[in-house]
Amino acid sequence: MAQEAHGAFYDLLAVRGVSRRDFLKYCSYVAATLGLSEAAAPQIAAALEKGSALKPALWLNGGSCTGCTESMAQVDSPDVATIVLELLSLNYFETIMAAAGEQAEKNIEDTIADGNFLLIYEGSVMTGEDGNTLLVNGHKGTEILAEAAAAAQAVISVGACAVDGGWVAAYPNPAGAVGVQAFLDKEKIATPVVNIPCCPMNPEWVVAMVVQWLLVADDDPALFLEKTALLTKSYTDGVYDAKVTLNYPEYVVESTIHDNCPRRGHFENGEFVSEFGTEEEAMGYCLYKVGCKGPQTYTQCPVTRWNRSVSWCVHSGAPCIGCGGLNWVDNNAPFFKRLSSMQFGSIGSAQPGSIAAVVGGVAAAALVAHGLGMKAAGRVGDGPPMEETTAYDRKHGAKKGGDK
Amino acid sequence: MANIVIDPVTRIEGHMRVECEVSGGVVKDAWVSGTLYRGMETVLLGRAPEDAFYVSQRICGVCPISHSHASSQATEAALGIKIPEGARLVRNILECAQYLHSHILWFYNLAALDYVSPINALKADIADTYALAQAAGTKPSDYGAVAKRLTAFAENGQLSILSGHYWDHPGYALPPELDLIATCHYLEALEMQAVANEVVAVIAGKFSHPMTSVPGGTAFVPTVDKLDDILFRLVRVKDFIDTALIPDTLAIAPFILDAATYGGGTGNFLSWGVFEKSDLVPENRYLPRGMSQGLKPEGVSPDDVTEYTNHSWYDSPTGLNPKEGETKVKFTEYNIDDKYSYGKAVRCKDLSTESGPLARMVVAYLAEKGGADIAGGADVRTPAKLIDSTLEALGVGGKPEILVSLLGRVAARNLEAAYVADLSLVFVSELIEALKGGDVQYWKAAEKDTGAGVGAWEAPRGSVAHWIGLDGGKIDHYQIVAPTTWDIAPRDDNGVRGPMEEALVGTPVEDAEKPLELLRIAHSFDP
Repeated sequence: MAQEAHGAFYDLLAVRGVSRRDFLKYCSYVAATLGLSEAAAPQIAAALEKGSALKPALWLNGGSCTGCTESMAQVDSPDVATIVLELLSLNYFETIMAAAGEQAEKNIEDTIADGNFLLIYEGSVMTGEDGNTLLVNGHKGTEILAEAAAAAQAVISVGACAVDGGWVAAYPNPAGAVGVQAFLDKEKIATPVVNIPCCPMNPEWVVAMVVQWLLVADDDPALFLEKTALLTKSYTDGVYDAKVTLNYPEYVVESTIHDNCPRRGHFENGEFVSEFGTEEEAMGYCLYKVGCKGPQTYTQCPVTRWNRSVSWCVHSGAPCIGCGGLNWVDNNAPFFKRLSSMQFGSIGSAQPGSIAAVVGGVAAAALVAHGLGMKAAGRVGDGPPMEETTAYDRKHGAKKGGDK
Repeated sequence: MANIVIDPVTRIEGHMRVECEVSGGVVKDAWVSGTLYRGMETVLLGRAPEDAFYVSQRICGVCPISHSHASSQATEAALGIKIPEGARLVRNILECAQYLHSHILWFYNLAALDYVSPINALKADIADTYALAQAAGTKPSDYGAVAKRLTAFAENGQLSILSGHYWDHPGYALPPELDLIATCHYLEALEMQAVANEVVAVIAGKFSHPMTSVPGGTAFVPTVDKLDDILFRLVRVKDFIDTALIPDTLAIAPFILDAATYGGGTGNFLSWGVFEKSDLVPENRYLPRGMSQGLKPEGVSPDDVTEYTNHSWYDSPTGLNPKEGETKVKFTEYNIDDKYSYGKAVRCKDLSTESGPLARMVVAYLAEKGGADIAGGADVRTPAKLIDSTLEALGVGGKPEILVSLLGRVAARNLEAAYVADLSLVFVSELIEALKGGDVQYWKAAEKDTGAGVGAWEAPRGSVAHWIGLDGGKIDHYQIVAPTTWDIAPRDDNGVRGPMEEALVGTPVEDAEKPLELLRIAHSFDP
């Protein structure tokens, strides 16, 4: 790949219609998202400016539905985000790249040969049928991942499938799906991995991590993990029965959805949606009773929101199904069953990850204590938050369901 | 005889391989292979019905809305639920938004690179570009600014996602000014597909995977604010379709008229129907249910589906309808004379049958010509009006048979976008009127937990059907025939080619090293 200089960075910005002021504002935003103080903005700007050549990246799809690619296409601030993404030379990206067949394969080979690239991986790692559940021109998907990851400076695994196999790895996992980190650990490939949860992942979180990598890549890519605020969790991988360490960006998973939920006030007041399609929903009542997994799910969905911050699941009336948690389908289904009676691993013999069980247990216990506390404080009148009739129902004299 | 292999076929959802036998510059035979197996149907067994809604939509991140609707419909059919009027309208609007997103993304961001050269656009004269845009009736953009941006990109020398392009292929025949217009709209389309998806986000929380069209209706309850959020975005998207997508289609078509002479395929078309009317009768949908052989319409039912497995990597009985079929994976080896795909050979009335926008528009066109009022009296551009006026504009008025071609498949998708854009505003108006009347319902609970049903619906890219069996509130049977399954089907047990395989046969290949024509056909199915 040619790595020639291509003119001053701000000339490029000007050509793309972005002012220096807008760019610096964007850097402040990135700093905040990365958990850094705003004082880091000039550093971020400097890191982005210095690159006269684009840093190369590969975006590989494993056992994916392309939902994370689609999610990436919905990223906010397209002008400025495009600038940041244009700092990458995305040499392979199946869904949108011009090349096909031999030309596409050459793009991967050349990039791997040149090194110094970022690998973004979407979808599950497909190990079933001796690795033949995913084939690209006769090569097993697992072989392509191993080769690319071993040569990459860092890996960002995007979305629940890449993190731990996602729904594909749910019981009985007929395709032998695993997450990227588990697979690389087994292959003894030490390239650092950062995991971005949710199904699909939130694109703003990915952009922030790409920027983080750009900040360190030219100096010492080994600093990628060290300089990134990470929550490192270990869990037991169901397929290989090995302990796997998952690196999550701290800003993504530091608090539960329940902690930041705009409907939280209704939870405190004991105002719940008991049935879909009711007036309680139109008034934004709490969805806990229809199965919301917000209290046990550690992501920043209510803060970042989705589709350019237009909405997110709970805002539109849907209970959180906990797609940001480990082993999310087996741990959270049946999805409409509320948390107080949730059972881990209720389907077949699937075993939940230990950390998820711990996290879930802590959340459930905290919630019970919270409910008791609320009752003791007398702020919810004569009932705890799990009452069968809502405050709205009582006030209006009758239960108002969907069928009127 | 030489074999051309394209693997991976890119700009699609998933993993796919195309192999063609070429002789004398023409494709004589073709094999299309799906090369990923994930096991969705097996994962769903033993779970609760609503879990199918959330999990099964994740079979595809590009058309998850349609899968979620097919799944909910299957559960509703199994449990005898008729969704209320409010839910019908909300689901229709949600489905429209996904169609608009998908069609805009496909034409500009996935298909256009097969016809448009951004590098050739660098040669465009800016004044001539404005003149051409005006003559074509397409919206003006800041062509000078985009040309500068393109120049900077080209001089940089790192082509990123454009590395390995085919732009020196003689099939790129547009004048530079038209290349520049289309490239501008490529960039604007990235914005517009996201705007369409913001409507999805308002109703369903996020795109890709939507959250609210649960079995029984919808968990989304519209408010005045949310309707406002929806309406202004839909108007903006419709404007882009009217002032860019449709004029660009008509402007580009004359330069690729040879695409009207190949790529037609089997000429058998299927539509399960999409966009419900108040009666919820599938045959009466805004895009109606039906089938056609050689432009002769006929009725169709999900019971007419058969799946063959002899050429697929499954150890499952062959020749069954999905209500009794199973999916047990068993990889052997890639062998075009034996097993060569994770796709089953799905057939309708035992025919190799194409699905997708062309199929839907043909079925709707034939219904309208047969006297059906498919739009229910709404003031919209109907499929027959759109097709007839387009044929006129291209100088082939009164010859609908020309639709059965690569060009027809490309144009049909964009014409459908115009119909759907009009419909989306009709549905919003109906919802507003319903809200004014008060007492609108959005969800109904199930009154039993055992039964079997099918939800047969249409995703932007083709026919989708989910078959469910429920016993005591748990799924004991689940089978999906996804849109791409129809079109990339391998040979059936009788040796008959799948729709895309058939469409590839007879295609001229100018440069075996850069098989542009074959990619155009593969991409035209939006696999």
